Amino acid sequence: MRKYLEIVKIYIKTQIAWRGDFIIQILFTLTKIVFASLLWGTIFAGRDKVTGFTINSMMSYYIISSFLTQLDMSSKVSREISQRIRNGTFSKYMIIPINIQGYFIAMEMGVVFFNLFIYFITSVLWIFIFRIRFVFVSDPVVLAGAVILIILGLFFMAQLNYYLGLLTLKYEEIETFLMIKDNLVAFVTGSIIPLTLLPEGIVLVMKAFPFYYVTYLPSMLFIGRIKGELGMGLLVLSCWCVVLQAVIHATWQNYRVKYDGVGI
Amino acid sequence: MSRIKRNLRVVRVLINMRLQNLMMFRLGFFGPFFVDSCVFLVQLCVFEAVYSNVDRIGTWGKGQMILYIGTFSMINAFNMVIYFFGINNIPDKIKNGDMDLYLTKPVSPLLRLTFERVNPGSVPLLFLSGVLIAYGIKEGGVKITPFLVLGYVFWIGIMTVLYYLVEVLIRSLSFFILTSGNAIILEEAGLTLCMQLPGIVFYGIYKVIFYMILPYGIMATLPVQFLTGEMTFTRAMWGVLVAADFALLTAFVWKQGIRHYNSASS
Repeated sequence: MRKYLEIVKIYIKTQIAWRGDFIIQILFTLTKIVFASLLWGTIFAGRDKVTGFTINSMMSYYIISSFLTQLDMSSKVSREISQRIRNGTFSKYMIIPINIQGYFIAMEMGVVFFNLFIYFITSVLWIFIFRIRFVFVSDPVVLAGAVILIILGLFFMAQLNYYLGLLTLKYEEIETFLMIKDNLVAFVTGSIIPLTLLPEGIVLVMKAFPFYYVTYLPSMLFIGRIKGELGMGLLVLSCWCVVLQAVIHATWQNYRVKYDGVGI
Repeated sequence: MSRIKRNLRVVRVLINMRLQNLMMFRLGFFGPFFVDSCVFLVQLCVFEAVYSNVDRIGTWGKGQMILYIGTFSMINAFNMVIYFFGINNIPDKIKNGDMDLYLTKPVSPLLRLTFERVNPGSVPLLFLSGVLIAYGIKEGGVKITPFLVLGYVFWIGIMTVLYYLVEVLIRSLSFFILTSGNAIILEEAGLTLCMQLPGIVFYGIYKVIFYMILPYGIMATLPVQFLTGEMTFTRAMWGVLVAADFALLTAFVWKQGIRHYNSASS
């Protein structure tokens, strides 16, 4: 356990060293808030409510969902693995006395711990700058449940990106696929618009998949909506984590022999 | 006249060379098409969802918004097919001294950079954009006349050139500063925002930024406004004026940059 803790510490320090990166990320959170402010400001100019949202709850939703989206930096994991397999330096991870997936999970934890602090401050800043009357739930049970859901969601995304990175062992070039995945994930996790705006049938289908519970459900819980879905969310997301872990195991066992350490 | 002929011949040779190169390295040929079409289809889904709950965003209905997405996609498609991959590497070429190769050739370096990496893999994006525009015209109930088509094509042309000018301008900053990375990130952030939002929702400081400094806010908005009969004389003049200003500014910065360039020490 101690060696994983060391990795977490190293990646917190790395984040401090690469200050430019988080300034860029902050700029992108600002873009999301400006998008929400302009789009929904225009829409709410002529009405009080849209699908149960007021302008304040809508803006609160965007503040929370962009905070959660920024926390998850696991898409870097798939790119790191893919790049290293392609140039033959993935051997580094194979020879260290540590579980490779554990290494990347610890790395993601280090990044999340650092981001948690930075993005919390920037989110508070956006609330003041955009003069948002922030809506936030006060029920401790919902709060605790949403936090567990977020942790599970982050774990799931780290698993997913680890799995996608491993696919480089078989398919060699996955960058195009990763870019498409990033776009689709932004939509299906509710980072672009709240999923409640979609037709009911589509939302019903989405509930069977994990992405609904990664950003959208925690954000909605935090603004005090759809509390009844918490239990279901925890169950579905946990099941997906178990299934994906089995898929990762099978993929690694099948494809690791294809790696020859000399690059593609 | 002979100069134009010579330049056209150079462009043809560059395109031929690029096609031969693509035949050898086929990996990821349609990659940009898949990535960009995904971006605009997601965009379409987003506004389909929004319009299933509201009638209008500002003064625009669903048809105008679909037209907007299709128009932005079309301008972006021209960008991807013709010049993006050529000019995108300008900062790297300046930084590591590769610009020397372009300066020593008997042809304009910018002309060569613009056309040396055309990307036919993005051509399907033009068709997809055409489909989106047709869908927007049908949804918006726009009555098409030859005058409207000609005007729309004119505005698409002007805005594609403006897009090109802004991209070259931002990348030319590398002649004067160590890295133009931050400017490119700003460009990316502004572009992402304006792909999602039409110019009609901007006000105050946002209008100043996205109508003047990073004019992505007018790029797809003006062609749509022309097609839907919302174009006023002032707006048309503004569009032409911004494009002309950026043409002069980009030409000036590029020329000064070339003079300032001192090989690999940039």
